[in-house]
Amino acid sequence: MIETPTLPPLDASLPRGAALWRGLRANPLLAVGGALVLLIVVVAVLAPLIAPFPGDAGNASHPFSVLHAPSPAHWFGTDQVGRDILSRVIYGTRVSPVIAVIVLVIACAIGVPLGVAAGFLGGWVDELIMRITDIFLAFPPLLLALALASVLPASLTSLTIAIAAVWWPWYVRLLRGQAASVAGRPYVESCRALGISRRRIIFRHILPNALTPLLVQVSLDVGGVILTASALSFLGLGAQDPTPDWGLMVAEGQSYFTPDWWLVTFPGLAILVTAFAFNLLGDGLRDLLDPKRSLLL
Amino acid sequence: MRSKRIRLAALAASGVTLTLLAAACSGSSYSSGSKPAKASVFTYDTYTQVMIDGWDPATEYSNGIIAMSNMYQTLTHYNPVTRQVDPELATSWSHSANGLTWTFQLRHGVYFHTGRLMTAAAASAAILRAKKLGGGAGYIWDSVKSIDTPSQYTMVFHLSYPSPLDLEASADYSAYIYDTQAAGAGGSLTKWLNTPHDAGTGPYTLQTWNSGQEFEVILRKFPKYWGGWHGSHYTKVVFRVVPQDTTAAQLLRSGQVNFVEQMSPTLWKSLQGASGVTLASSPSWQNLLAQLNSRALSLPVREAISYGTDYAGIIAALGGAATQSSGIVPAGLFGHFTNLPSYSYDPAKAIRLLHSAGYGPGKKALKLTLTFTAGDSNEQVVASLLKSSLSRLNISLSVQPLAWATQWSKAKSGSAAAHQDIFMEYWWPDYADPYSWFVNLLQGEKQPYFNLSYYSSPPLNKQIGQVESLVATNRSAGSALYRQMQVEILKQAPIVFLFNTNYQYAMTKNFSGFQINPAYPNVIFAYDLHPSS
Amino acid sequence: MLVFVARRLALAVVVVVGVIVVTFAVAHLVPGDPASVWAGPHASAAQVAAARKFLGLDRPVAVQLLSYLGGILRGNWGTSIHTHRAVLSDIMTAAPATLELVITALLIAVVLGVPLGLVSARHPGRPADQLIRAGSILGVSMPVFWMALILQLIFSQKLHLLPAAGEYSPGLLFSHPLVKRTGFPVIDSILGGNGPMLGSTLVHLILPAVVVASYPAGLIARMVRAQVLDTIGDTHILNARALGFGEAQIFGRFAMKLAWPPVAAALALVFGYSLVNTFLVESIFDWPGLGSYAAASIATLDTPAILGVTLFVAIAYVVANLVVDIVQAAIDPRVRPA
Repeated sequence: MIETPTLPPLDASLPRGAALWRGLRANPLLAVGGALVLLIVVVAVLAPLIAPFPGDAGNASHPFSVLHAPSPAHWFGTDQVGRDILSRVIYGTRVSPVIAVIVLVIACAIGVPLGVAAGFLGGWVDELIMRITDIFLAFPPLLLALALASVLPASLTSLTIAIAAVWWPWYVRLLRGQAASVAGRPYVESCRALGISRRRIIFRHILPNALTPLLVQVSLDVGGVILTASALSFLGLGAQDPTPDWGLMVAEGQSYFTPDWWLVTFPGLAILVTAFAFNLLGDGLRDLLDPKRSLLL
Repeated sequence: MRSKRIRLAALAASGVTLTLLAAACSGSSYSSGSKPAKASVFTYDTYTQVMIDGWDPATEYSNGIIAMSNMYQTLTHYNPVTRQVDPELATSWSHSANGLTWTFQLRHGVYFHTGRLMTAAAASAAILRAKKLGGGAGYIWDSVKSIDTPSQYTMVFHLSYPSPLDLEASADYSAYIYDTQAAGAGGSLTKWLNTPHDAGTGPYTLQTWNSGQEFEVILRKFPKYWGGWHGSHYTKVVFRVVPQDTTAAQLLRSGQVNFVEQMSPTLWKSLQGASGVTLASSPSWQNLLAQLNSRALSLPVREAISYGTDYAGIIAALGGAATQSSGIVPAGLFGHFTNLPSYSYDPAKAIRLLHSAGYGPGKKALKLTLTFTAGDSNEQVVASLLKSSLSRLNISLSVQPLAWATQWSKAKSGSAAAHQDIFMEYWWPDYADPYSWFVNLLQGEKQPYFNLSYYSSPPLNKQIGQVESLVATNRSAGSALYRQMQVEILKQAPIVFLFNTNYQYAMTKNFSGFQINPAYPNVIFAYDLHPSS
Repeated sequence: MLVFVARRLALAVVVVVGVIVVTFAVAHLVPGDPASVWAGPHASAAQVAAARKFLGLDRPVAVQLLSYLGGILRGNWGTSIHTHRAVLSDIMTAAPATLELVITALLIAVVLGVPLGLVSARHPGRPADQLIRAGSILGVSMPVFWMALILQLIFSQKLHLLPAAGEYSPGLLFSHPLVKRTGFPVIDSILGGNGPMLGSTLVHLILPAVVVASYPAGLIARMVRAQVLDTIGDTHILNARALGFGEAQIFGRFAMKLAWPPVAAALALVFGYSLVNTFLVESIFDWPGLGSYAAASIATLDTPAILGVTLFVAIAYVVANLVVDIVQAAIDPRVRPA
């Protein structure tokens, strides 16, 4: 019977139980980040129950109570068509974070196979894929997303496509690195010599070990995608009224800003807190799982 | 056939900031370290480019008049207090009994900025050129058959039908008098004008044009201006482009701009009591219209939309910037009536009408598109409110903010499929007369131009063709015809009259002489202002 | 060394060509038919066909691409629909103001970020470190357009400490006019000995530069911390300690020197990202640079201008990366491949 050699893990895998607790205690930023993210998810899920005026996140309007300052009736005030800003900020948790998840799923769906192919197969495949990736990485993400979004009809769908189209290259690089380092190992040569398929190597060795750095990268990227999405909506290229997108709310509130500061302050704060939470989480995860890894973003 | 004209709806949204350089920065605590300037400069702040249509005074049809009206002048000038026209480049005028001959006496000793003397021949050439080119509001000269110049300063107009020529000569578009010989014998005048140069008679002349930049247009005083420079006058006028109205308000507070044309109503209100700032508000002749695509939308649907609009809500949400419309013609103009059968917000009635057409709650959903001019926060609020109130009628309104040029070209396009269902824009008259609404918006057109409800009614076309002459010969009959046309139009509902604009201006306190003149929307005649330093 | 530079340059050229191809592809994604837009709403079918020929849209895509490439190289970047002028000339007019802003912001970021990163690495895990780490993460999580509005509200509107907008006080336009030599107001006022103008431009720079500096400052602080912590356990550091150098000196002289290369690489990255962030910030401060131009082009959907700016910023980013790579290779031979 031939024993299938298993590869040792390349990186630390998720610690269990007590080790995890110790990790959290030593890493208060991770704990805070995780708690905030959990809070945001809970708010998003329970939005219809929490929001005082759920209809205001949709087509409702109250023209006789526009631009009311924050008060016990409306904790975050009302906007230019009388909608309750607190409710809209709450429902906003269902917009950008969800887009971020969709974008990253697409980015992984494109980037992971390409990266594995490049790293594992090497040769001209590697060269071709990496050159194309380099070209896309030559654009700062927001720049190319903006150019793409400006030629597509303004909507959340276009925004999602535009950001996904610029985000996948990072994942190609990440997976290429993982795959290449696995491919170079002597174990793999022996596996191949024993007739084990490439497919098996990819699915049993490369992907499981890539999972952790992938998870870290994704959690770090959520914040970045949320910022990019709100920037595009702020420029008018994404969400359209009455979608309770935070970036759109800041853009709409700009004309009223100086006397009616609440239109801009609370949605912007929501963007900041959400991006901050996910970045804290990502940062903390990376420290926990691989404290020695040098960072670029 | 009347010729069509172009109107820029975005003018209303531009916040033009006037920066006054003469006054030291009032209200700002940080030092800019500048010596008080010797020149008295008046800065007008706008949020969008001023000279969009080019520099030809005959075809200008948008914001450009805020600069041009300081460089160019007309034969007569509308006086909002007396509601008559005053002499400007013409000193007196009269017309024959049948209204077909008008005689104008011109002012002596008026020089164009090119150095040439303004004579009857020069003025005729300018008017006939505007008529020939037909751009801008060239149609105002349609009644003119020919012009004689029996003496150096006398113009005799021969009309093909009676029309109020003295009023038309005061128009804010296409009525400027300028030197048609400016480019010389063989030169192209249009090219010369677009260099740019100005060939007007006004108190200010062009100094610099920085296209696409912040200090876009700078004018300096024309020393040989016929009005003279006695007393306290501004010697320079600057037109500055500031995209954010909150920034414009801050610049006003610190005295870096003299005049902000328009900003959101709450921002305007918040300037109440700010030191060195004074506010001015007055009704205008500008209204916001929603032109309903009468080819795509049947009469019951159009009526339902008219009943489904929350007029009072719109007025309330705009906090003083808007007043209720009564019919098509705004208050202050001939042809305005307060007792027309207008629509009010009645969702129940709207639903009944929709049900009769197979739409409405419980039945088929109606999907409509609305376009409006991007950047105007008031239009955006109205669009949101419309979307909201129509959603209760099972009408799903897709709202598209577009740049004016895009919005208009889409509406004019040859393919009907590209046409929107609702076109939102502002309208104001070319001269102090209601005719403009009818001839531009409601007369049948083979190719869409401004009639963007694509409405055509042969009886109405006939009435529009008659009304100007009727007013000139029998004023009360003309008034009755205007009333009759408005009643019929309201019944057919090709246009929803959303509101009438209230001008809300903010300016510094360091000058006097300011007067709002609805006949020249958002124009500041800087010569009439007197800096107090 | 020369081989390295040549190879790196060649790679950069390939990337730039790729960038132009991508921009071309985006331009041709525009929905609708450019030929009928050009011909106008009243055009007949024959006129639309003529327009198509005139615009060269009837040629195969590959030919169009080559012609586009040729145009770019010759300086024909299209005409702005909004300003009716050549896009490249618009960009060249606007670029200096933005470069001035971004460079100032990067200076602020380095001056803030490096010391904070060092302090953070000096006492890892302690409250100061946690605070600085939280602060730097806050910096990279900041929506810059919101920060611009809030700072403008607080410092200009409420406290009257700083100017609301503009590059300099408009009064100086007439009393102390700026003579344009380089196109950078700060440099031009120094060259012209124009004191009041210099003061005014610097004061007007503060708010926009601080806003644009938030992301780079946070990033640099984090990077410095991570790099220093990475190298602090290395043998030559241990050696330095053994030789009796104090902690402060180790941090100042040795660790920072070793931590520098990735930070330098990060500078290229934040240069590119900051250029794009100006799109969100400049129009709020009425700063007459690329950002305002881009924001105005986006608002009017002026596709030639948008794509022109995209191309310009992408090329600037490639050049920045190239420069940093070459400088690093010149300084540190280990960076060059064997």
